Amino acid sequence: MDIRSQISMVFHLDKCIGCHTCSVACKNIWTDRKGAEYMWWNNVETKPGTGYPTKWEDQSIYKGGWEKTDDGIALKGAGKQKGLLNIFHNPNMPMIDDYYEPFTYKYLDLIEAPAGDDQPTARPVSLITGKPIDIKMGPNWDDDLSGTQDYARNDPNLKNLSLAEQEAMFQLERMAFFYLPRICNHCLNPACVASCPSGAIYKRGEDGVVLINQNVCRAWRMCVTACPYKKSYYNWNTGKSEKCILCYPRIEAGLAPACMHSCVGRIRYLGVILYDADRIHEVASASDKDLIDKHMNILMNPFDPEVIASAKKNGIADSTIHAAQNSPTYKFVKKWKLALPLHAEFRTLPMLFYVPPLLPVMASLKEVNQSKQNEKLNPIAKVWDDNWLYDTSTEELWGTIAQARFPLKYLASLFSAGDEEKVKERLKKLMAVRIYRRFKTVGDIPEKKAHDVLKDVGYTPEMADEVYCLTSLAKFDDRFVIPAAHREQAIEMLEFTGDKKGSTGFGFKEETMERGL
Amino acid sequence: MMYQCFIVHKNIVGFFVAAGLFLFVPTGFTQELGKEIFTQKCSACHSIGKGRLVGPDLAGVNDRRSEGWLLKFIKSPQAVINSGDPVAKALFEEFKMVMPDQALSDKQIRDILSFIKKNGISSSASTPPVALAGPVPQHEIELGRNLFQGKVRFANGGPSCTSCHHVKNDAVIGGGILARELTTVFSRMGGEGVRAILGGPPFPVMQAAYQGMPFTDDEIRALVGFLQHADQEHAYQQPRDYGWGLFGAGVGGVAVLMGFYCMIGRRRKKQSVNQDIYDRQIKSE
Repeated sequence: MDIRSQISMVFHLDKCIGCHTCSVACKNIWTDRKGAEYMWWNNVETKPGTGYPTKWEDQSIYKGGWEKTDDGIALKGAGKQKGLLNIFHNPNMPMIDDYYEPFTYKYLDLIEAPAGDDQPTARPVSLITGKPIDIKMGPNWDDDLSGTQDYARNDPNLKNLSLAEQEAMFQLERMAFFYLPRICNHCLNPACVASCPSGAIYKRGEDGVVLINQNVCRAWRMCVTACPYKKSYYNWNTGKSEKCILCYPRIEAGLAPACMHSCVGRIRYLGVILYDADRIHEVASASDKDLIDKHMNILMNPFDPEVIASAKKNGIADSTIHAAQNSPTYKFVKKWKLALPLHAEFRTLPMLFYVPPLLPVMASLKEVNQSKQNEKLNPIAKVWDDNWLYDTSTEELWGTIAQARFPLKYLASLFSAGDEEKVKERLKKLMAVRIYRRFKTVGDIPEKKAHDVLKDVGYTPEMADEVYCLTSLAKFDDRFVIPAAHREQAIEMLEFTGDKKGSTGFGFKEETMERGL
Repeated sequence: MMYQCFIVHKNIVGFFVAAGLFLFVPTGFTQELGKEIFTQKCSACHSIGKGRLVGPDLAGVNDRRSEGWLLKFIKSPQAVINSGDPVAKALFEEFKMVMPDQALSDKQIRDILSFIKKNGISSSASTPPVALAGPVPQHEIELGRNLFQGKVRFANGGPSCTSCHHVKNDAVIGGGILARELTTVFSRMGGEGVRAILGGPPFPVMQAAYQGMPFTDDEIRALVGFLQHADQEHAYQQPRDYGWGLFGAGVGGVAVLMGFYCMIGRRRKKQSVNQDIYDRQIKSE
């Protein structure tokens, strides 16, 4: 057992309202620079949709992530052999048009244009070439465009669905979507680190944040290919690659990362999870159907004395272990088993987990006879002759999940490597807590039914209350449990601090030398 | 520190000794300098009273030409010829080549001239002219050819002749065109002339190329032998002319390489995944 600590995240998708505040907070702090305009270390996608960069999930195009081989795993599009062959000619790289060409407007023309017959306009100019462009695409171009041919129906996750199922999804009455915020997953088995020919990318020992050393990066851009989530970006101005740094300067100061701090829906949780580094290779090379279970198994119980002993042996501070015990992410992922990693089949063992969205799943459409209702209407009133009812009732317990208008197969291909049971289990738990809370607050559900539902998913009423509290009432310090960074200890490992003692400020005043002989 | 002072001190003594020598410089000393420069710079092409080599015999040159003319001509023969000097022109007609410019001071030239004046008559009798060797042994020609082409390296590490020179010979393919073609150099300059040039190259570029890497005597003998052989045989030689074939092979090679590169690029992602969306969009102008 080789216990290490990892800062992990949980995004609660039911709470995401798609406002992009996280993206803008991140952009304003980190990527508002020349060469970084097109980067969105944090972005929010509409699902179903093609995302950013377009179709990033389709690894037959971008060749990211790991693939299973006879004796373990290998990088799909990079690595020692393929990387060397393609080092001057990386064939699977996304191009700027796959992201979008960043632009601004010539606002000054509005006030400085000479007098003329026409109203002056602010023409769009490219932030790369500086020349006027036709805007072809922008960040979140497909935002909220759930039903469109170009975006929603090209979603790579639809490829497991039959044509009939896809058609059913995109009927006007049934159409639904949810938001998927994405940042770097700070994976346990990061493909970007493995692919870097310069050895510039590393996973920080103390908290598992994956970083690119800007002094060592030599712009081979293998990480851009290798990251299956396309969260490593090339800065054409500095000639280095960049990625989400999980706001480590903020974390070290005890603050939440900017995207999480600014989240309006409070969907984001951050905390330490202890994991067993000895088993990473074994887990990453598991078969597709065991991936999720094995991934969950290397996340260790921070209350287990054996785990604590091993953690201490590895130099993990007591405060970090304490933070792991209070970690909201550990609760969501392991204790309540509510959250799942995104695209586990890429085998990078991502440490950002998602609570799958219940709402578009839970609600269903029923055909009802509305003729009686219509008869009551005034003859001049507009009468709808369709008979659809958007139903969010909880009359039937689990039937709605199976008959949901949003196919489970779709969610399964996002969150559980195609295993519908795992998604269903999580959705049931969410629903159970909801029914239980409805019994508590509204009271239109009998107590027995509420408790039966909880028992069905293996929750006690106390657990359901805990889930409810952390989901709906959690305050800042409940959502972000950030361990102390112990930077003073880190410095002591590198230099003797006694040397620096008393040498701050301007130092001792020395007499100036006398001039002349 | 003490030791260093001592060295400086000793050097100062040395300096005064040298200065004293210069102050009381005897005429014999001037001639010694002249002899040294003559062997270094002139003897490759000129003899004093031993007959013509590459250039004319310089015995009695002081009487034939004025000192002013000599100073001017030795510094830059081409300039004198260009100025339309009839004597210089006649020399060019006779010897078919221009003597390279010499970076010598007036004093050095006068030293040489005084050396020539002194030795003009006396030395001619003392050493008999070198007789031309008879037929060159085959193995020497072989060695010379290999040295010329760089198949055998020069002992002191000098560059092979073929880098700059060409010789029409069956065995030599594609010599350099940076310097003169050497097929008939033997009949133009004679064995002694070629030997002298190899012994101490008078041409500035060749001088620089072989700076500190002189030919050995054996090498000179072999090269002269090869050049003599090449000169005698050149009428019968038919070296293979690749001509357009070589060019064609180059073009073919490029085509093959390009094909190979195309194969490498075959699996490249060729366009944006959004290209069909972009193509439908309305463009301004």
